Amino acid sequence: MKFRNIFVYWRTILRVAEITLRHQWNDSFILFSILVQPMIIAVLALFMLRGLGGDYAMFVVVGSGLTGLWSSLLFISGNSINGERWQGTLESLVSTPTPFEVIVFGKNLANVIQSLLSMTASYLLASLLFGYTLQLVAPLLFIGSVLLSIFAFISFGLIIAPLFIMYRGIQQWQNAMEFPVYILAGFLFPIAMLPGWTTPISYILPPYWAARALHETSTGGADLEKIMLAWGMMLFFSVIDLLIASRLFKVMLYKARVDATLETE
Amino acid sequence: MNSIEVSHLRRVYRSTIGVIRRSIKEIVAVDDISFDIKEGELFGLLGPNGAGKTTTVKVLATLLIPDAGTVRVRGLDIVKDAQEVRKIIGFIFGGERGLYWRLSAIDNLRYFASLYHVDPDVSKKRIPYLLDLVGLEGRGNERVQGYSRGMKQRLHVARTLLHDPDILFLDEPTIGLDPVGAREFRGVIRNLQSENKTILLTTHYMFEADSLCERIAVIDQGRIVALDTPSALKEHVSDLSVVEVETFGVPEATVNAIRSLRFVDALSVEEQGQRQRLLIQTPLGAEAVPDVMAALDGLRVGRVTVREPTLEDAYVRLVGGKE
Repeated sequence: MKFRNIFVYWRTILRVAEITLRHQWNDSFILFSILVQPMIIAVLALFMLRGLGGDYAMFVVVGSGLTGLWSSLLFISGNSINGERWQGTLESLVSTPTPFEVIVFGKNLANVIQSLLSMTASYLLASLLFGYTLQLVAPLLFIGSVLLSIFAFISFGLIIAPLFIMYRGIQQWQNAMEFPVYILAGFLFPIAMLPGWTTPISYILPPYWAARALHETSTGGADLEKIMLAWGMMLFFSVIDLLIASRLFKVMLYKARVDATLETE
Repeated sequence: MNSIEVSHLRRVYRSTIGVIRRSIKEIVAVDDISFDIKEGELFGLLGPNGAGKTTTVKVLATLLIPDAGTVRVRGLDIVKDAQEVRKIIGFIFGGERGLYWRLSAIDNLRYFASLYHVDPDVSKKRIPYLLDLVGLEGRGNERVQGYSRGMKQRLHVARTLLHDPDILFLDEPTIGLDPVGAREFRGVIRNLQSENKTILLTTHYMFEADSLCERIAVIDQGRIVALDTPSALKEHVSDLSVVEVETFGVPEATVNAIRSLRFVDALSVEEQGQRQRLLIQTPLGAEAVPDVMAALDGLRVGRVTVREPTLEDAYVRLVGGKE
């Protein structure tokens, strides 16, 4: 996606996000994905870690929020392209003068905002049900980390979307893509617990740096150097993702027009 | 001046068959067709199912890449200048799909207005105007899932006109509509025609094409078999009469036997529940009736009439009596 398109089409991006939210909130499966599923994960983790103190609870709250973010991008954003294909709107969207990656950016924005609700739901669950007093070590830096994480997740999601445009059957791979990212990005436990050879893979995943920034500013030492490194890596990978996505969208949309995959078989 | 220029267009669909020994199956949907549409013209594309009509429209709407040939919309190449072409065209594919059913009609229109970069102040006025134009006034806040098929079709029209495109592609827009809905829809098309919009219409209904289109291309098996005005197309069958025979349970072998009679030029069968209507084109007129009745020996026969040919008969002759 051309970086300047975010600014040229900001009004369209906001409208796409608004309409996407209104459309999805009428779907009970989506409400389950963003509210119920992260809460189940949070309850399981809070039970396992009970007795270890408020810091661990906060770690779980942030971690389960991140799982909600990733699931939302992977399933809702991906499925929404397949959904558009099945309801016959994918062709209508592609044939508008708005670049398709701008539309997907707006959809991803809606999904990321939506899944922030997961984090809020987990927070309320931990404090009301388990009685933890949750405190952020650096609230302002945490908010900054959340905003950068939104951008990083949206950009990462833009790489996945073209695959859904091109391949009708990619849904069967979604499950295989969900848990490896939970684990490799250190959402629910530090990657130091994993074998050493997995570390380089974690380093190239923007969600890993988002998790690091969010954990560091919520329950970590609020070490400014570590936070800035995580922010810098998030920005760096976001720009790389946008460049890759730009090329992928161009190639995949052309290929979809050659192979006639914008419509159902 | 031409709005649309199609030159030697060819489009092939490929699919892979088999798991271990994979082979590619090719279906030629459109095979070397050429035609032009003048600015402000209402041009019809007629043909049986699978003839290549929808493929042609999708290529024009920038949704498919041609395998060969060039397609220009107001001088713009549909492959290289797709983004520019999309600003000046609108399309409707027949059926109920293509809308967000869980949203209201107004939300659907607001969404697409934004994607077509219609100024928000303009769309605020244009959306109620379009809902009024297509007869959905007062229903705009209802979710689309509660709409009838006809209402959805009309909402499609409103969506297509949001950015006031000069060129419209209407692919079987009246399919599935009840007769009253279809007639109202034709009224909308006539209004658009009076606004000097260039329209490409595909339809199965001959009277629709006859009453609306200035020129018609008949397409069969991916090739254009005739292109002319409706009255000129009717000339193709001016030497013929049509014998209509109502039958009950006529077997395929008997139909083929009649088709092979030396004086039968083309024959099509219309299924009407328990009844069939045989439409036999012949230069003999009423003189053909005794031989036809002899071929139907032993079968129950209803009304038999002989009439002058219509555009539909011209179409049947051109596509070889397949429908």
